[in-house]
This record gives sequence, structure tokens and C-alpha cells, in this order.
Amino acid sequence: MTRGSALLLVAIATVALGLVPMLAPPFYANLLVPFYGYAIALLGFNLLFGYAGLLSFGHALFLGIGAYAAAVIAGVWGIKEFEVVLVGAALAGLAAALPLGWLAVRYTGIFFGMLTLAFGMLAHSILFKFYHLTGGDSGMRVPRMRLLGLEFAAYNKIELLAGPFYYYCLTLSVLAAFLMWRIVRSPFGLHQRSLRDNAQKACYLGVRVRQFRLAAFTISGIYGAIGGAILGFRIGLADPELVYWTHSGHLVFMSVLGGYSNFLGPVVGALAMTLLQDQLQSFTQYWRFVLGAILALVVIFLPRGLAGLACDVGVAVGRRWAPSAAGSRDSA
Amino acid sequence: MQVSRRVLLTSIAATGAAATAPGVFAPAVSQAKPCRIGILAPRSGIAASAGESGLRGTQWAVEKFNAGGGIAGRKIELVIEEETNPKDTIERFQKLVQQETVDCVQGIVSTGVGLALGPVVEEARALTIYWDGTTQDGVDEKLPNPKYLFRSTDNECEAVMSSLLAIKYWNGQFKTIAGINPDYSYGRNNMAAFVALLKRFNIEHEVITEQWPKVGTMELTSHVAALKAAKPDLIFSSLLFADLPVFMKQAHAAELTKGTKLVFPAAGWQHTLMKKDFTPEGMIFGHNTLYFDNPKATAMQREFVAWYADKFKDYPNWEADRAYFAIASYKEAVEKAANARGGAWPAIDDVIGALAGSSVESLGGKGSWRRDHIADQTFVQGFSTHANKYDFVTLDPARIETMYSTELQKPAGANFWDWLKAAKFQI
Amino acid sequence: MSGATSAIGNILIGGIFHAAVLFLVAAGLQLVFGVQKIVNLACGSFYALGAYFAITFVNLALNAGLPGWALLPLLLIAGLLMAAVGPPIERLLRAVYDRDESFQLLLTFALVLMFQDVFRFVWGANPRSLDNVHLIYGKWAVGDFSVPFYNLMVIGAALIAACLIGLFLKRTNFGRLLRATAENRAMAEALGVNVRAVYAAVFTLGTLLGTIGGALVVPTAAASLDMAVEFVIEAFAVVVIGGLGSMPGALAGALLVGLIRAGSLVVYPEFEILAIYLIVIGVLLLKPTGLFGKTAA
Repeated sequence: MTRGSALLLVAIATVALGLVPMLAPPFYANLLVPFYGYAIALLGFNLLFGYAGLLSFGHALFLGIGAYAAAVIAGVWGIKEFEVVLVGAALAGLAAALPLGWLAVRYTGIFFGMLTLAFGMLAHSILFKFYHLTGGDSGMRVPRMRLLGLEFAAYNKIELLAGPFYYYCLTLSVLAAFLMWRIVRSPFGLHQRSLRDNAQKACYLGVRVRQFRLAAFTISGIYGAIGGAILGFRIGLADPELVYWTHSGHLVFMSVLGGYSNFLGPVVGALAMTLLQDQLQSFTQYWRFVLGAILALVVIFLPRGLAGLACDVGVAVGRRWAPSAAGSRDSA
Repeated sequence: MQVSRRVLLTSIAATGAAATAPGVFAPAVSQAKPCRIGILAPRSGIAASAGESGLRGTQWAVEKFNAGGGIAGRKIELVIEEETNPKDTIERFQKLVQQETVDCVQGIVSTGVGLALGPVVEEARALTIYWDGTTQDGVDEKLPNPKYLFRSTDNECEAVMSSLLAIKYWNGQFKTIAGINPDYSYGRNNMAAFVALLKRFNIEHEVITEQWPKVGTMELTSHVAALKAAKPDLIFSSLLFADLPVFMKQAHAAELTKGTKLVFPAAGWQHTLMKKDFTPEGMIFGHNTLYFDNPKATAMQREFVAWYADKFKDYPNWEADRAYFAIASYKEAVEKAANARGGAWPAIDDVIGALAGSSVESLGGKGSWRRDHIADQTFVQGFSTHANKYDFVTLDPARIETMYSTELQKPAGANFWDWLKAAKFQI
Repeated sequence: MSGATSAIGNILIGGIFHAAVLFLVAAGLQLVFGVQKIVNLACGSFYALGAYFAITFVNLALNAGLPGWALLPLLLIAGLLMAAVGPPIERLLRAVYDRDESFQLLLTFALVLMFQDVFRFVWGANPRSLDNVHLIYGKWAVGDFSVPFYNLMVIGAALIAACLIGLFLKRTNFGRLLRATAENRAMAEALGVNVRAVYAAVFTLGTLLGTIGGALVVPTAAASLDMAVEFVIEAFAVVVIGGLGSMPGALAGALLVGLIRAGSLVVYPEFEILAIYLIVIGVLLLKPTGLFGKTAA
């Protein structure tokens, strides 16, 4: 797929998403708000997974950090400005990612995954246990906040979510994606890929393995926290179940569903998962089984995910329609 | 058993019911359209059995009501969604309200989910009745005056009642206390309520150990050993998930239950798993709002229990009653409001007006709604006995205690812990 | 035995019993990881499967008239029968052997999701348990200290399993093949080892250990819908502490987790949940590859 056509697709998709609140039933606008939270978190996650090659099975930890940061800043401290919350969440994500990352990036592969899983569950236990601080299983309330200083008093929360906040999140996601695109395209991003492909060689070439991995981990933590803040706003509550390990599993699921070797793959995966889960839960009470089966099928037959599938289809279609066109360039 | 997602229940004598329904319930337009009730119930995880129990109670109610013509002449149709975590449950709720356009939403067992969903309910202006999960501890800041949301009785009612019973029957017979409670708000609040009541009645006591097993964990041997080492006179436990019968088994195996007074306010949730083999007699055993074998049960309760036993080879716990109360009081309110309008289907504000302050006969006894939209229900507790035809313990009929929750939960606007210190309790 | 000593004894035995069950499942995990380099997130699901099926099986058998003391063999048989899910699942995993290990992990996660609904579909929403059938073996009591013989038998079974596995790996031909394949799969294949068969056998053995662990624990506990997902955490903690791929590590890790958990309940009960994670982090800080692990890849 050429760069131009990829950009065109993205632009079309963005416009289509922008039209959802106007054209689709209000339920879908509300349904898609968490998608933006996941999209941003997954852009960060994929820097770690797709580009640096480190599979974290505890990434939902950062979602939780973002949500609880929102609860503390807007709820406990009373600063009901979403921009402040975003900055606060990012800082909290940074503060958590540095020590955890420092510990975790000494390992790769499965060890890394298990260690991150342990960190996530440790956080879950702490959030549950220290209920005087964190509200325990009841969680902490995330109150309604001002966006860009505006109160939007005429909107109730549901309308706010389906309207102004929806567009706010869409814009935020586009910005986050753009920023991440620059990151992965930069020498930094290239370093990450070299680390993933052959860490020893990269090390010989002078790449400081641990520092780069730590940087990737930290950036992914910041993105995760921002996504978590969006989730917190939407749900209105920060609760410990956000960091349970199966939630981390779902993040990985979304990445793989969309295709982690593609830049926007995880975002596609988040969208697909959001819509899929909604339809499945209405369809059958055994939706977990179906979801698991779909994951198994994707892992076995569609390793490059939906985005990979789309690329293949696009290439095939392109070949049919313009057989004389030059070969496709890798866009990821 | 399978409860399909959409349950369109037609009565046994479908056409007959319409013909025999009193003329007053013959609204012009909406009689053909069913009354859709959305249900949010947990179906997996530790609360799954509660969800299932509630769903069965709802199903029985719907069959019964539809056989009698439905609600104000409209047949009831259930739309069932799963209660999972706050985020997903809010989405399912919005689907029910925005896409499925249900007339009422009922369900919710988990405290956290209930708290997150509350503001959404108000914003969506959708009449919603919670089955469970209300906690009065700290509820004041969270949702002080809901209009569309009706919540269950306070989670701590059963602990208050058990504490009062322990004081009434065992005052002077115990000094050292141990607690083993699940480590979350419910367990913490229940234990704290017990201790607060002991203090309030100046009962001499000493808490020698408090065990806080992780919610639902079944690895309790060490907890049991620690309790045994402490040798308490009385053990207070609000364990109520799968861990409860496991604890009882292990405690029995370790001979912890011999000679120790046991106060178990929430034991009725797993009552059919509390086998006589390992559950002693004489423990204070709480059945909350439904005691299936109550000698003073109404005909309706007996009918329900028989139906349940026949269909599921099991006996219902109180979640079935909570679900029944929700739908029965809804029906009552709708019909009352419809009556006031000469039979036309009422607007939501009318239903709310009729629901608040109303009362119905629920399965386990009388239930009513306060003006602040908190439920009041009948609570039943007693002392366990082996003298029955089942393989699990039931309550000694000679010492069954019944209390209405007006005596057990704080009035509107008060602070739970202050109320505990000052309220007049009748023991 | 004095009160204090018997209390400690009770708690110790409780911790060791829990460690025994943990060891069985962790051993299964280690075996599969050591040879196939797959971390099986579905180990908790096998554990739950063993537990649920054991209840059904034992109830059937006892109702059919089998005597109560047949409990232990019945449980072992139940675990054995459920190991039959091993080969088909291994065939499924075969599709991703050559892929990145994250795919393998994900496929096992897919299994976790699927199993959750299978349990609900087959066994329903209510927790299941066996009544105190295991007390038929009696108790060993000294003063205040008492432990059901059953618990001691389970501990014994775990120890026997540990020895058998050790012997199997060190002394038998197949065990040597296993270790060779674990060390260097390509070389082993080049030398004529039927790696496919080895993988199938290892995975099934790993499954078997998991299902037997679940079956053995069920008389003193119960089977419930969330047990699979909860158990994974503890199993992983054991494996990380002990060192990935190491059998002695599984034993050491299980003992450590079991005893420290039990101990913390006496000293500072509030600490219980956190204790395990802090140990994991502590061990990893001091010895990154775990107590018995080789250098991490």
C-alpha cells in the first residue's frame, strides 16, 4: 500500500468517525468513546510490542493509573479541568513507568510478560486492599470535567460524551497518532526495531539496549495513562478491575486482532473489538467463548491481523485494477 | 438452565387472558406492544450464582404476571444483558435504554458497578431498580437524591441484624472475638458494624484476630489455623461466596466450630452448600430477605420455592427475592399510576411517583420503597439446625427472628456510623 | 503439644498443603515451558477442569456404590481422564510453534476465555464442592494440632510426583530426549528425535499435572467459575520465583509461596495478598532468573 493511499484511507476513516455522532444512533457515539481511550493506549502499547518487541501482559496497569489520576485530580483535589487531568495522568504514567520499566526491561520475551503481569496484579491488590485511600472495590469517582475550559452545562453527561467529548477524544487520538508516527519514524523508532530484530547485533552497533527499551516502556506508559484518563471520564469511576490481568490480555488481543506489525493495526483492533464485543454480548451469553475462538482463529490464520488482511486485499485489488503499477512499499 | 436473551413469554391462555383482563387495563394504543424490562445480571465470576438466582426469580414473576395479563395489560418481555465490570455494564445499560428502549432496567449485584452506573441512570432518565449492592457507607457524597434510580436495602442490614441477635442471645457468653471476612467493602463494613454495635451496647469484648482473605479465595487452611490458634469465643464472618462452604468444611475438619459461637449474617446466599456434615447447629445464620423454608411463608413464597425446587433441583436464595421485589413493585406502581389515568400507560414520572412510598408483598415478606428511593424489606435470620429433611442446615423454627429493615438501616440523610451509635434498636 | 506449637504446626501444614497443589500445577507449567518454550496461561483452566470434573466423577462413583476410601484413586483417575484435553489442545498450539512466542501466549489466553464459558455451560453458575468426604481417611491429631490424613496424602503425592518427574527426566531415555529437546530443539531433531511426539507428550504431561492438582485440591476446597483466572497468578509467581523451566525451582517456589503466605497470616494478616508479589519482585531483584533459573534469554 502506498503512503498516499494509506493517508487517504486514514483521512476517510477519521472523517467517518467524525460523522458518527451526527448520523448514527447516540448509543454508538457513547460506545466509541472508550475506543479512543483504547486507541491511544494501544498506540503506546504497540511501540513496546510491535516496534520494540516486548510483550507486556500488565499494560492495563497504565489504564488504571490514568483513571485513578483523573479521580484524584478532578475528584479529590477538585481541579475539574480535563487538560490538567491529562497532564497529571501523563506524569503519573511516567512516574510509574520509570521504576517498573527499569526493573522489567532487564528481561525480554516471556519473562518480561510475566513480570509485567505480576506488576499489574500487584497494583490490583494494592488498589483493592488500601480501600481507605483508593476506595477499594467501590473505586473512586471521576467527576465531570471542563473541556478546554468550557463547562457545556447545557449537555447532560450522556450528551456530553456523545458530542463535545467525542470530538475532543477523536482530536486527541489523531494528535497522539501523529506524535507516535513521528516517534516510530524517527531514528529512535528505527533503533527500537533493530532491538526487536536482533538485540545482540544492535548492542554491538552501539545501541544502548536497556535505555531504549526503558524509553519505549515509558512512552507506552504515558500513552496508556492518557487512554486511562479518557476511560475514567467516560465511566465516571476508577476501579481496580481496570488493572486485572485479563484486561491486559484484552489489550494484547486488540493489538493482535488489528495487526501489531502495522502502525494503525492496534487502533483498528480496538475499533473492531469494541464493535465486536457489543454485538456479541447482545447475541449470546457465551460471548467469551466466541471471543476466545475468534482470538484463536486470528492468531493461527491471521497473524498480521485485520490491518494485514486489509493490506493484502488492497494489494490484490490494486494489482487487479492497475497491474502495471509499481510494487507496493511497506508502510509500517 | 438456559434463559435466552430475549424472553418473550406468552401466557398459557394467551387470548383468554386478554379477554378476561378487566376492562380498565385496556389502553388504546399500547396493549399490543409488550412492556420491555431490561435486566442486568452477572452471569460469570463469583457473583454468577447470585445473578442466576435473580434471573430465575424474575422469570417466575414474569410467567406469573403474564398469565394474569401482564402489567397494565401489556405482556412483559425481558431483555437480558450481563453485568460485568463498570465500563462494560454502563455500555450494556445504554444499549438497553437507547437501542432496546426498555421501559425499565432492573438488576445489578455489585457495589462498584452500581456506584458507577448511578449517575448514568440519572442522566439517561431511565427508571432503574437495583437488586443489590447498596452500601450506606459513604453513599451520601455519591448520589444523594436520585430521581430515576431505586436502590436495594443497605448491604449492612444483615450484619446489623446478626449483631443484634448475638447481643440478644449471647450477651455475657463470649468475650474474645475473631473475624474472618472477605477483604472488600462489604466484609470490612460488616465487621466494623458488628464491633460498633458491641461497643454501643457496652458489651465487653476483645477482638483477638481479624482475618481478611482475598475475595473468593478458597485457600483458607491457614486462616482456619490462625483462628484456631487464637481460640476465640465467637467468630463473626460475612463470607458469602464459594469461600463460605469451603471455610465451614475446613473449620469443621480443624474442629474450630466445636464450642465456638458463630455469627454468619450472609450465610444464606450459599445455604444449599452448607451441608449438615460440616455446618454446626446453633450458629446465627442469616437468610437476608428470603428464607425458603420459613414456616410463616406466604402461599406465594411456597409456590415459588416449589416451582424452583421442581425446575432446578435446588432451593432459592435471597437474590431471587430481590429480583422479584424489583419487578413486583414496578408492576404495582405502573398499575397504580395507570389506574390514576383511567387505564392509559403512565409516564415515567407518574411511575416514579407511584413507586416511591409504595409497598408490595415480596416473596420473603413485605417490601417497600422509601421516599429517598432506598428499599425496605423483611429480613429473616435464625439459628441453624440439622432437624430437617435436607442435607444442608436450615433455621430452627422455634427461634426464627424477623425484622423489618426500618430497624436495620439508617434513615435518609444520616451517616451510617453515627446512626449506629445513637439509634434505638429493639432487641 | 503446646498450644503455640500446635498452632504453628497447623499453619505450617496448611502452607505445605497449598504448596503441594501449587507445585503440581507449577511443575506442569515448567515442563511445558522448559521443553516447548510456551507459557501456558490456560494452566489455571486445566486446574479448574480437574476440579470440576473430579466433583462430577466422584459423586457419580460414590452414588454408584463405591466406598468412601476410594476417594484418592478416584480423584487421580478423574485428573487422568481430563488430561485427555491435552493432545487436542497441543495440536491446536502446533499451529503457532514456529511463530513468535507471544502468539503462543495469546493462543493460550484464547483458551482461557473459551474455558470460562465451557465451565459455565457444563457446570453452571453455582460453586460446586464435595462434602467432607476426605475425612474418611481420618485425622492425625496431637493435642491441638490436627491434620486430616488426606492432606498428608496429597503432600505425599506431590513429593512422589516430584521424585518421579526428577527420575523420569534424569534416568529414562525419554527424559533424556526431553532435556535434549529443551536444550536445543534443532539439534535434537537433527539427531533423529521425533520432536512432534515429544511435544505432544510433554504438553499432555503438563496438562495432567494441572488437572490432577485441581482434582486433589477439590475435597478441601470447591470449584468455582473464577478459580481458573485467579490461580494463574499464583502459579506464575511460583514459576518466576523458582526460575522458568526449572523443576527444583517449581518445588522451591511453591514451598516459598505456600509457607510465606501461611506465615504472613500469623504475623500480619493484612499483608497476605501483597506478600506474594513482593516476594516475586524481591527474588527478581536479587536473582533475576529466579532461584534455580538459568540465564534468561
